[in-house]
Amino acid sequence: MSWTRRLRVLYQGFFLALFLWLLARLAAGDPRDLPFTAYFHANPLAAVGVTGAAGTLPGALIWAVALILVTIVFGRVFCGWICPLGTLQHLSSRLLSPRSRRESLKVNRYRRWYALKTYILAALLAAALAGSLQTGLLDPLSLLARGLASGLWPMLPGGKPVPGGWLAAALLLSILIASRFIPRLFCRAFCPMGALLGIFARFALFRIRRSGEACNSCTLCTFACQGADEPLGEHRVSECHVCLNCTDSCADGVISYRFLAPAAEAPARPDLSRRYLVGSTLGALAVAPLLQAAGGGRGSARAELIRPPGALAENEFLQRCIKCSLCQQACPTNALHPAIGRAGVEGFWTPVLIPRRGWCEFACTRCGEVCPTGAIAELTTARKTGYDGAPPVRIGTAFVDQGRCLPWAMSTPCIVCEEMCPTSPKAIWLDEAIEPGRDGRSVRLQRPRVDPELCVGCGICENRCPVGELAAIRVTSVGESRDPLNRMIAATPS
Amino acid sequence: MSEPYDTRVTRRDTVTRLAAAGLAAGAVGAGALFFHDRRRVEASARLIPDWRVGASDQHPAVAAANGPDPAANVRRAMAPLGGMERFVRRGESVLIKPNVGWDRIPEQAANTDPDVVAELVRLCRAAGAARVVVTDISCNDPRRCFARSGISAAAAAAGAEVIESHRLAMVPAALTGLAAGIEVVEELLKADRVINVPVVKHHSLSRVTLGMKNWYGVLGTGRNRLHQSIDRSIAELGAAFRPTLTVVDATRVLLRNGPQGGSLNDVKAVNAVAAGTDPVLCDAWGAAQLGHVPESLPFIELAQQRGLGRADLKAVRQV
Repeated sequence: MSWTRRLRVLYQGFFLALFLWLLARLAAGDPRDLPFTAYFHANPLAAVGVTGAAGTLPGALIWAVALILVTIVFGRVFCGWICPLGTLQHLSSRLLSPRSRRESLKVNRYRRWYALKTYILAALLAAALAGSLQTGLLDPLSLLARGLASGLWPMLPGGKPVPGGWLAAALLLSILIASRFIPRLFCRAFCPMGALLGIFARFALFRIRRSGEACNSCTLCTFACQGADEPLGEHRVSECHVCLNCTDSCADGVISYRFLAPAAEAPARPDLSRRYLVGSTLGALAVAPLLQAAGGGRGSARAELIRPPGALAENEFLQRCIKCSLCQQACPTNALHPAIGRAGVEGFWTPVLIPRRGWCEFACTRCGEVCPTGAIAELTTARKTGYDGAPPVRIGTAFVDQGRCLPWAMSTPCIVCEEMCPTSPKAIWLDEAIEPGRDGRSVRLQRPRVDPELCVGCGICENRCPVGELAAIRVTSVGESRDPLNRMIAATPS
Repeated sequence: MSEPYDTRVTRRDTVTRLAAAGLAAGAVGAGALFFHDRRRVEASARLIPDWRVGASDQHPAVAAANGPDPAANVRRAMAPLGGMERFVRRGESVLIKPNVGWDRIPEQAANTDPDVVAELVRLCRAAGAARVVVTDISCNDPRRCFARSGISAAAAAAGAEVIESHRLAMVPAALTGLAAGIEVVEELLKADRVINVPVVKHHSLSRVTLGMKNWYGVLGTGRNRLHQSIDRSIAELGAAFRPTLTVVDATRVLLRNGPQGGSLNDVKAVNAVAAGTDPVLCDAWGAAQLGHVPESLPFIELAQQRGLGRADLKAVRQV
């Protein structure tokens, strides 16, 4: 093995291990200020998608420019050297595959349908321009974080269940298994990030060069070609992952990776069909409004759509959420879960708070800290709790179900919701009443009532309510700070 | 056998087929016998040990100390009881159970004062304890509760092993008077000695929350149903959990909006600590710090009737 290949393996191992470590530390609630969002900030697909959808490039996503510049200089090194999903596919194609040399030669040839990823990219960007950001569905970083932390880790001992997590796991495992049959099939044919970087890689200053005179066309260079980019034929620089397997395997030293290597002649067949490109763009432009109309939280608020504290208004939120699931992994009480159907079709993997699974910890601001795109604004504890004097950040309001509540309906004392209420003074107060019992003796009861002026909708009352499956106090999204129209009582004049 | 239409069966064939059938039947039978009633499943519940040390006439049941330094208050209250050496022997393992229920800072008086906990850890260490565990089941996220209450840092620095709630193993235990099948912290059942360290707080149902109520914090699934008859539940917990010592922290007390408060307006600095072997008297002293007549609290009356202790405030030795 040459030093270039060793170096690449070292990079791949390092970036995969770092990705897994950061994700695991995040899910374990590591209190240190680790760079949990680093990979996602340098994510060009997210940056382009959010910019297209929201018309602004928020905050640290500007780091994506650095990765684009690296691509313009070195080609798609992100795919071959950094991307943790790429590395996992690289591994699975090596470990699971019983391929012979002859088969290797066959599966590593370019196929015309690998252009599919560019049509996918075109469709996703067109949908983003129409206001529906769906890049996260196939973004390799989002997909891997979801598949691991929401899909697979709940199966480990002590793991907490994530409703719908199996879908994320199924997608990730399908990608890894597909790589057994065609190496890096996802990278080659489906990955919108690869397609995007491929556009910039056309300008690559460093690229693969084969000096034709000395080449005896032995095809050794093609055996382990990760990108199926034809180092032996008309090299396709926008497909090349810069894995450098070809330079390493060339017995005659004919292939090299060089600065300002003469560009190969344009391939005989075009990479893209204009008809498909226009078709996928127009199709996405037509489908995006359909998605937006498909019963999400846009336009009208939905009771069960409780967003994390600091989440922007639904329209703005959906223009920024890249479905990376970091907020869901960061939530210390396991309250944030994929919305699945609660936020409409376009909000599929976006976060919602499910109080029966966890509550919003009063002084905790972790979800906003790790949101890479600012879909959840970063809050300070003083701001969130209202200790700074301004109204606190509300995510909903609690309602007592008087037909199920023990003091209200069963003449049984209970104050658990009031006890748990974190605001000061408490939003849940106790209304004392003497009620006749069935046997004629009267019972003194403290019946919980909610003060909507004080309730922040954190949901700890619903979480701790002793009434079995369906709690006797439940939070809905009304009163949430992010939506000035989702209100119930006109504010008291002050 | 080889000829399909030959109906004759050879002797060898008969023997092998009978033997094979016999072996198969024997294997099934032997397997059934092997597994039959091999393990009887019973609803087993662990008994809660008695962690008390022998009674003594030379020492008061409860001693209380006032002063600006919480750690000094602990030492001074422990002195008339005979010091920690009377309660903890060399090589024993001690579990200290403060209230770390809430994501609040010490000034908000929702959790036990970290200095009180740390001083108890030091005293146990000095008495020769091999292992001192500090743990509680928090109501908020345990990582935040243990960090922001200051108890993790203070207790660990004093030589304790701090176990946050999410790392605790739970086992079903026998609490005869309560609903069947309540879970208890397993670590508690392993300890040789247990010190209960409540903080004095208002509570909207039992009016105050003190030492016997503090045992809610070692219970798992089902604990939020105990509020339905809270006074009886508290007395029941007082009967089930018999700690070596109860140390009541009244460094700061929470007057309103208990048990988690939030506003500094609800907090009053009392700067006192009481320690003792009578859990009912300890709770009576704590209730008095909030201005209650102990006998007016139903759970104290119930505990007295069950013979768990005597709420006679005159028996408290003030130092």
